[in-house]
Amino acid sequence: MTTSVPMRAVQYVLLVGVAAVFLGPLYWLVATSFKAPDEIYQFPPVWWPTEFTWENFGLAWEAAPFDRFFLNSTIATVAGTALKVTNAVLTAYAFVYLRFPFKNVLFLGILGAMMVPGHVTLLPNYLTVATLGWINTYAGLIIPGIGSAFATFLMRQHLLTLPREVTDAASVDGAGHWRTLWQVVLPMSRPMLATVLVITAVEEWNNFVWPLIVTNTAEMRTLPIGLLFLKDEEGLSNWGTIMAGTLIVLAPMLVIFFVAQRWIVGGITAGAVKG
Amino acid sequence: MSTRRAFLLGVLGTGAAATLSGCGFRSPDAEYGQPPGSVPPQYAGRVRVVFWHSYSGRNGNVLGEIVTEFNESQDDVYVEAQYQGSYDDTARKVAASLVAGQVPDIAIFSDVTWERFYLNEALEPFDPYFRPGTGFEAGAYEPKLFDEGVLQGRSWWLPFARSTPMLYFNRDAFAQAGLPDRAPETWSELREWAPALASVQSAGRSLRSLAFVKVDGDWQFQGNVWQFGGSYSDGLDITIDAEGAVAAGEWQRRLVHEDGYGYMASSAMTDFAAGLTAMAQDSTGGLRNAMEKASFSVGAGFVPAEVAAGVATGGGGIGMMRNATAERKQAAAVFLAHLSRPEIAARWTIETGYLPVITAAQQHPALVDLIAREPNYGVAIRQLPRARQQDAIRLYGRNANVAIYTGLQQIYADNADPRDVFGSVARRLESIADEVRRQYEEKVRP
Repeated sequence: MTTSVPMRAVQYVLLVGVAAVFLGPLYWLVATSFKAPDEIYQFPPVWWPTEFTWENFGLAWEAAPFDRFFLNSTIATVAGTALKVTNAVLTAYAFVYLRFPFKNVLFLGILGAMMVPGHVTLLPNYLTVATLGWINTYAGLIIPGIGSAFATFLMRQHLLTLPREVTDAASVDGAGHWRTLWQVVLPMSRPMLATVLVITAVEEWNNFVWPLIVTNTAEMRTLPIGLLFLKDEEGLSNWGTIMAGTLIVLAPMLVIFFVAQRWIVGGITAGAVKG
Repeated sequence: MSTRRAFLLGVLGTGAAATLSGCGFRSPDAEYGQPPGSVPPQYAGRVRVVFWHSYSGRNGNVLGEIVTEFNESQDDVYVEAQYQGSYDDTARKVAASLVAGQVPDIAIFSDVTWERFYLNEALEPFDPYFRPGTGFEAGAYEPKLFDEGVLQGRSWWLPFARSTPMLYFNRDAFAQAGLPDRAPETWSELREWAPALASVQSAGRSLRSLAFVKVDGDWQFQGNVWQFGGSYSDGLDITIDAEGAVAAGEWQRRLVHEDGYGYMASSAMTDFAAGLTAMAQDSTGGLRNAMEKASFSVGAGFVPAEVAAGVATGGGGIGMMRNATAERKQAAAVFLAHLSRPEIAARWTIETGYLPVITAAQQHPALVDLIAREPNYGVAIRQLPRARQQDAIRLYGRNANVAIYTGLQQIYADNADPRDVFGSVARRLESIADEVRRQYEEKVRP
């Protein structure tokens, strides 16, 4: 099938338009983080910094204990993601391969939990964590978030699509549940696992509201809250520093996404032609 | 992002506040623990005081230095300053901390947040902690600012980072437009000057005269209403739909929609520093920042008058939590006494632009020298006689400020008729007033 030249032109214009919507803000973020203050506040805007300066990054890094925030964010993200995904995989496996009473009712419960907006549970969670003495601790930061209805739902729906014959064959060969999970189900679920991992990791990394209320000291803060430290309360903020800080926060997730993207895309297409 | 966050924290705050005020969940005299933190080894064995504050960026660094110096200056008290986000974030966290039973000992509250904690009996009066003759006493504070925190004859809220709006103006643009090197004295004069400013080209377009603030603009507008002879409320009786307030709204509507000299800005001060608008009404607390970041010469003057003069005080003060232990309260008072020393108060003013809250600080040589060199720093102090405490509805009505600035947005953005807008805002404010009327009559009205 061939496309006419005007049609193609329209397609490209639309593509560029959509790309601009997605990449424009990101470009502005990167460009601003390399600008000197007077170029940031200029009108009409300076699209490309005339002189690259790394000063903003140094200022942002020194404005608050960002090394500490980095450590905290890493701990919270790694531990939180690991626990969340483990939870989701085990729960989803149980829902698909085990027989137990009230299975459908319980699954409806999980679906229902997905519909509850996160902030409804904010205060009850805060009170629980306070009673446990977990305020301003890693436990308080991580534990309340480790049950994810969405990740469980995603994994369950995926496991349902796996051919039953494979797991049946495994059990005929004498594989127990652990072995089936590790050597049969998970290897077949790599793309979905990667997707769930990335979604969860990004969610944990960017989490703002919960860390803000459950931590009090700079030693326990995470990166998204660190960005607040860069903002001046009155009047003008130094946007160059804020953008540099944002870029520092953003970079690791971009890297993870680009690495994991290969898995996700590769997983979706692998074996597609074999039917 | 920020509105979503505000909403989420709002949910938490509302829930916490409901628990705080209702159903006897909290005994006003219970002794609560402190939020955890870490004490550096060199300060071990001292009484630890947790101070929740709302200052980040430059102002936060200055406060951090003052706290560190205090810790090094004596051997009994260790103050741990913990930054908790904006004034509203901090208030919500304090509300949540009361529910959780782990309270800071002292905290920053804004002009519109401390009242709720007072009404719910969460604050400790300062009077027993004052030490007459040492400088830490009621008389040491700027009387007007101090009295705003006094109710039923006792002091509940100590002035700290207090401010008023000022009129910032671009001196270079004024010179180019052939205008005098001063802020306009009345709003009418500002409007007469606007065409001359519009003839100045700034970055390829004609210079606007005044930017109105999109969010929280009701603080500046409080003063504007007085300047046009009106008020938001008289006690809790709503008057925003009466003549003066409508006239102020109408003046601003005309400047934006008929003259084209004004507009609504997401950040009026960013636009001002970028040279997009010749003037902006903003907090004195941003003076230092504006002068450092603008590429032109920044002028500061009184907010214009019209039929009357007046500006609203605002900013942050310090409250002490009633549920802290006696030992921690005593220790906190030692720190507050330190903050009340004229040289510390003067330094805070010099570094930030906030008002000097200690009367003697106004004569401190460092501040006097600075004002002589840079008269902008003296403007807020000279404007102080015009400053007034805000009308009760904005102080005591929950989210009254949101109702008012949402109305202003309709005027600035949609060219809505101020009479209609303030009519519906007034109805909203009346129901807000009804919520607090009983507590207000009981605990505020003398």
